[in-house]
Amino acid sequence: MTQFFNYAVPGIPFGCVFALMAVGLVLTYKASGVFNLAFGAQAFVSALAYVSLIEDGWPRWAAGVLAVFVLGPVVGVLLDRLLFRRIRTASPLVKLVPSLGLLVALPQLALIIAGSTPDIPPPALFVNAQRVYLHLGSVPLSGLELSITGSTVLVVAVLVALFRFTPVGLEMRAVVESPRMTELAGVNAGRISAFAWILSSVMAALAGVLLAPLYSQLDPQNFTVLLVWGIAGAVIGRFSSLPLALLGGLFLGVAQQIVAGYLPAGIIATGLRPSLPFVVLLIFLPFTRQRQFDDPLAGCDPPSATVETETLGYRSATTLAGAGEDDVHAVGLWHRRLGLEGPDAWWYRFVRRPTSTLAWVLAALAVLSALTWVPADWLLTMTQGIAFGVIFLSLTVLTGMSGQISLCQATFAGLGGFAAGQLADHFGLPVVIGMVAGGLLAAALGVIVAVPTLRLAGLPLALATLAFALLADNILFPNSWVGNGASGVIVPRPSAGPVNLSASKPFFLLSLAILSVTAGIVKLIGDGTMGRFLAAMRGSELAASSVGIDVYRLRVVVFAISAGLAGVGGALFGSLEGSLSPTDFNYQISTVLLVVVAIVGLGSISGAVVAGLVYTTLQVAVTTLPSRYAGLVAVLFGLATLSYTRHPEGFLDYLGNRTLTFIARNGAMSRLMGRSGTGGRGQPPRNEGAGNPDGDVLVPTPAPGGAT
Amino acid sequence: MSGPPLLELEGVSASYGPYRALFDVSLSVGAGSALALVGVNGAGKSTVARVVSGLVPVTSGRIRFDGVDITRRPAYEIARMGLTHVTEGRSVFSSLTVEENLTLSFRQALGRREVPAALERAYGAFPRLGQRRAQSAGTLSGGEQRMLALARVLVVRQKLLVVDELSFGLAPVMVDEVYAALGQVLSAGTSLLIIEQHVDRALHFADAVVVLSKGRVVYDGTVEGAESRLSELVLGRVEQ
Repeated sequence: MTQFFNYAVPGIPFGCVFALMAVGLVLTYKASGVFNLAFGAQAFVSALAYVSLIEDGWPRWAAGVLAVFVLGPVVGVLLDRLLFRRIRTASPLVKLVPSLGLLVALPQLALIIAGSTPDIPPPALFVNAQRVYLHLGSVPLSGLELSITGSTVLVVAVLVALFRFTPVGLEMRAVVESPRMTELAGVNAGRISAFAWILSSVMAALAGVLLAPLYSQLDPQNFTVLLVWGIAGAVIGRFSSLPLALLGGLFLGVAQQIVAGYLPAGIIATGLRPSLPFVVLLIFLPFTRQRQFDDPLAGCDPPSATVETETLGYRSATTLAGAGEDDVHAVGLWHRRLGLEGPDAWWYRFVRRPTSTLAWVLAALAVLSALTWVPADWLLTMTQGIAFGVIFLSLTVLTGMSGQISLCQATFAGLGGFAAGQLADHFGLPVVIGMVAGGLLAAALGVIVAVPTLRLAGLPLALATLAFALLADNILFPNSWVGNGASGVIVPRPSAGPVNLSASKPFFLLSLAILSVTAGIVKLIGDGTMGRFLAAMRGSELAASSVGIDVYRLRVVVFAISAGLAGVGGALFGSLEGSLSPTDFNYQISTVLLVVVAIVGLGSISGAVVAGLVYTTLQVAVTTLPSRYAGLVAVLFGLATLSYTRHPEGFLDYLGNRTLTFIARNGAMSRLMGRSGTGGRGQPPRNEGAGNPDGDVLVPTPAPGGAT
Repeated sequence: MSGPPLLELEGVSASYGPYRALFDVSLSVGAGSALALVGVNGAGKSTVARVVSGLVPVTSGRIRFDGVDITRRPAYEIARMGLTHVTEGRSVFSSLTVEENLTLSFRQALGRREVPAALERAYGAFPRLGQRRAQSAGTLSGGEQRMLALARVLVVRQKLLVVDELSFGLAPVMVDEVYAALGQVLSAGTSLLIIEQHVDRALHFADAVVVLSKGRVVYDGTVEGAESRLSELVLGRVEQ
């Protein structure tokens, strides 16, 4: 019992640390309706400012006040204005991607601004961190531990009081459900929303400044790990209860100490501790009621951008409206009049088909160049891009087609790579066969991930897969028979057999062949029955199962296919590089992968390929800059998520639509000019019953008499 | 109808993105009177209500309320001026309890001190709500939710009450109750803009009628004038 006590007590400060994170996440979720994963990044930014200022000679209190009460709110207001206010009612993916992007980008941006990581160890805010102030039993409690515990209790008490007893607490909850209805009650919803973000950002900043002294050096990674523990605590609090989140964090802190204390040392014990969040998430996620009520006044918004892009012609109709047509009537009417519909329409003959032909010609030219004049390092980058293109295809299937969100694709890729390398090493298996085997093994892992998470969707699924990636990083990859820890695994280039593929050009061709095969598989899936099923499931799992689709089986299958594709891509990348270590495909890479492909375009195969090329090219480009800008790629992609929220169809489709609309407008306008009589300004077109694509669309006819 | 009208729309147009919903709508509600706004589904009735309360921005035209131009005012400022909009469908906060729903409105309209007394009056008028004060509003029945929405506006004196399909989906007994409550509001001096599908019900209640069809006003005048050719106006066809 004493021993238990001795293990448990040191866990309490850890628990408070986790609790601080968990409470912050729950607070943001309650007050703004967004599960803000950038919370960890906000904490890091304030901690960095705090330590940097002290390094510059500021007194600790002044640095603390500035970091917590000035920088924190500023970041919060900016996030609210620029981003989160606009995505409150968006789909889970559109909500998740920006906060993931910011989680990666904000710390790197702060590091670029600060110039360098501070050299001094972070000092504690108002106590001597190391001094032991009192003993609980035989357990010494240092100033740092006491201050963290005390602040956590204080913060939670203040927050609970705020929500229970003040008007603003009630108003925040009302705004989360429906800002418009709150305004109808006379409340300024914009101000309440800004206040909520200031509150949660101050909390993030406070957490950062309090927790910084835990580490000898500031590192964004530490805060991300804390964030994962915080997520587990928030899930115990069912995303909604501040006191339960506090208890959840405390429980996790104590539990991880006990686990570490009782179990014998070794890879399982050291691995089990970091995997606790995963276990907790798996147990508790199914019980989180996401009591998110729809905004009853959502109908006041114009039709959403995703609906908009379903019909290309909608855009041209919109543009035409801007171009001077007074009344834009039904979309279908315009379509027919402008000849936008049908495969024989001028639109397809003169715009779409040439565009796609041009894309193919460019691709062929790129391949030809690669094989002839392109320098070796460029060729390497292109081949890397192709390998990542294969990995990104796995997300095209999983997220683009079936709407599932996975934050463990890098884990699948890593497993595929390690398997190919290990099989070649131990059994002398040719590496090309090893790639297939790696893909199959990754597919099996995909099934293992899919089955326990079958009932999860959206945010909970994303969190569970994130925790799984962390689990794999800690207890799967360090093993000598998998990822072999820091030293990694040698993955040879394919050299056996009649054709030697190890030189860079033949390997490029091999990569191209693998990309073609995988892309072909993805296209077959997308165009076939399964693609229709997946699209149905993406729309609504309930509706899909009501027409006889076995949704659970489909989910397992699509996870397996996606994981298999990622595995093949990972093996290809490993073989290209010659070796693979667990850090090449850790959980952070998983989040980056999702962000990158979402920005470029999840909806198409070309989106995945372009994402791969852009991702690797930018990473090479950034190495030519001074080391201070090492994080620039992360910053770029992080900031690109800001525009992603406006164009969830992805950059590629957006660009395409813009171009096509531009051509269409000019073409359509000249066609209109050519026709006399029809489409004149202010003259309503005949109501051909082309009707209402949407129930609310009005097709005006000349008003019957009697209008006053 | 004497004196200047309380609410006045002049040539108001509005759209949802590229979909235009209102075309040059002009109408007015006199002080202390009730105006019924009727028309088929999609005629733009709810959009008129949303434009008036500031939920949907107008693209052209002007709106005056109580002598003030409120055309591009934010919704919360319009609400504070004494214009209440009870929206169609669910118009209460599901995630809040009954009491919290009431408190939210009362605190804004009456000040914090008056809240307990206002709550008592609301529960006095609707004992059902008193029994369910700690229950979240999402768990109430449709009729009870409508009661809650009414209780929010009955206790606080308003200048203008805009009700959108308040009786929709209710049992006939409940509809009677709703109209009795609206009668109370009207006799207390509040003007009403009533949007209804139960056309005859609304017509018996109102002082004047505006008929909307496909986003335009096709009739604006007395109830008697409208009754004889109602189906032609509303449904856009001449009866045989």
